Amino acid sequence: MRARVIASADVLKIVDLLRARGLEVVAPFCGRGRDTCFDTVTDANRDQVRIHLPNPYYPPKRFVFPHIERLMKVHGQNGGLTIEPAYDQTRRAIFGIRSCDVAGLWHLDRFYLGRDFRDVYYEKRRKNLFLVNLVCTDPASDISEDCFCLCADTGPAAREHFDLQLMDLGGGEFMAVAGTPAGEELFAEPIFRRGTAAHLERRRAILDGVRKQFRTSTSWFSATVRYVSQGGILDKTWEEIGNRCLECGGCTYVCPACTCFTVSDREVGPEEVERVRMWDSCALGGFTRMAGGHNPRRAVHDRRNRRFFRKLAQYFIQRELAMACVGCGRCAAVCHGDIGMPSVVEMIRRAAPETAKNETAT
Amino acid sequence: MNGGGHRPPLQEGTENIYLPKVAVLERVAEDIPEVKTFYWRFEDPAAQAEFKRFRPGQFAQVSLFGVGEFPASLPPSPTENETFFTIRQVGSCTAALHRLKPRDKFAVRGPYGNGFPMKDYEGMNLTFVAGGIGLIPLRSCIVYALQNRKRYGRIQVFYGAKTPGELMYQQDLRAWEKSGGLECHLTVDRAGAGWTGSVGVVGSLFKKPGVNMPVDNTTAFVCGPPIMFRFVIKDLLALGFQERNIVSTLERYMKCGVGKCGHCCIGVAYICVDGPVFTYEQIKKLGEDI
Repeated sequence: MRARVIASADVLKIVDLLRARGLEVVAPFCGRGRDTCFDTVTDANRDQVRIHLPNPYYPPKRFVFPHIERLMKVHGQNGGLTIEPAYDQTRRAIFGIRSCDVAGLWHLDRFYLGRDFRDVYYEKRRKNLFLVNLVCTDPASDISEDCFCLCADTGPAAREHFDLQLMDLGGGEFMAVAGTPAGEELFAEPIFRRGTAAHLERRRAILDGVRKQFRTSTSWFSATVRYVSQGGILDKTWEEIGNRCLECGGCTYVCPACTCFTVSDREVGPEEVERVRMWDSCALGGFTRMAGGHNPRRAVHDRRNRRFFRKLAQYFIQRELAMACVGCGRCAAVCHGDIGMPSVVEMIRRAAPETAKNETAT
Repeated sequence: MNGGGHRPPLQEGTENIYLPKVAVLERVAEDIPEVKTFYWRFEDPAAQAEFKRFRPGQFAQVSLFGVGEFPASLPPSPTENETFFTIRQVGSCTAALHRLKPRDKFAVRGPYGNGFPMKDYEGMNLTFVAGGIGLIPLRSCIVYALQNRKRYGRIQVFYGAKTPGELMYQQDLRAWEKSGGLECHLTVDRAGAGWTGSVGVVGSLFKKPGVNMPVDNTTAFVCGPPIMFRFVIKDLLALGFQERNIVSTLERYMKCGVGKCGHCCIGVAYICVDGPVFTYEQIKKLGEDI
């Protein structure tokens, strides 16, 4: 492992180093109340960057797939039409991205850059992105009661897909692990020093301890994948889940692995239009409504079925080499109807004996 | 300083899949009430030549800037000279297209989707069953089959509309029949003055005397409104058609056409990239209403 040790007091100097290299650095801050958010680091707010804090509800996904993003500008003049794409090629670092969100980005990579077509807007942002992953170690602030990365196998310490990983070892020290040559290049800076076997031992001990601090367990995850993939869930169960859905779309907007978007045109000046895309949600009634009003997926339980099928079906897990649920727990935290992923897994588990009864009735 | 090599390879200069190319409207023909055919070509001849490699059953995304973009099936066969869309006015985008005048500009990207595997049908009989504007996506296939007539067996077209005035592509229908390359059977729900043909649902044509519909070694292409689709499938299965020999082209709300926006995903299939052409065997497995 390419690892170094860094003093706690020096950890924010990594932000400075990245900024000095010309990167826009995005880091977590405390907002008002208990809100936390990722924001761009400036000279003025640099000292307010927080290491240990609840993971923001608004995932850092937006730095590769913004909530709203311009795709192109179109000018119409003298009967002509010129179409100009608009790209964001800012060189950017996300400092303090949690392991679940790193897994979320990896899922987006597979989705937007894989298969037949590559998404050039995503690609241009992604290739300029440097990830400083933070391992969740403080049960009081880093880990919420909804977190279940242990079950999704994405945390608390990401094993890959980051450039640099930081972990608080306590006693005024952090361990830094390089995931890429770009991350390793930072180790030339004097703030990093070589660690000892004792540091590695501390890392292991802390992780062992942290793994026992998770309050939400969805031990039925793999069985749920099987049930969902094989259509083994009764309509009644989907209806029960659908009945609790308030159709707010919150689960999809906070999800670090959701990918759906809609596209809209808006006038920005005389003879000038811009085409934007924005996040869309399969929870909303209009998601599948066609011109003329026909909506093949009108019922709310069909829409809930859709979300969990897309996230858990074996077919998609194989295709994207990862489940589209990373265990961040945000859907559980924001859902007013308590049908976040862990609850749905639990509802499917409770309904399983009835499925068995139906199978033997024939 | 960039991230490392832990993600799928990032290529420079990747094509922008969302960027349409400018198209010029050449002329507009009225088909039936609220449906018009728009003849167009790309401003850039190279784009036109590239686009002409489309396959029957594929579709394109049509942009009316300031209003939006919509998926439209491609009714011409790639073997024809002209490129055109036949569009019913249903929503805001199609209304904007209907307002265009010749020489007006809009934009198109595509072609997308799998299309009909015309090679696989060689040596088989082709039976086309269409209802209303469901003839639009099948037109490409029919013309293609006629222009490669020797490769296919018997070709039958069963086509129904609400009234005689709502039968699409009347000129084509007459020309196809006259060519002797296919048998054309028409029906309407409500006959008007001067209609001497059949009255009734399209499925009622299958067993009419003289139709003598082949079932073995035959592919049935079905396209039309959901209710017509359900009944025709029932009729075809009752006649002995295999589920894998019934094909259709599905429609869904789509925003991208390239498998990213998520709107058209049913079951494990993205209609835009895995379809829009599916066999009935596949459609049944999608596990949702269509």
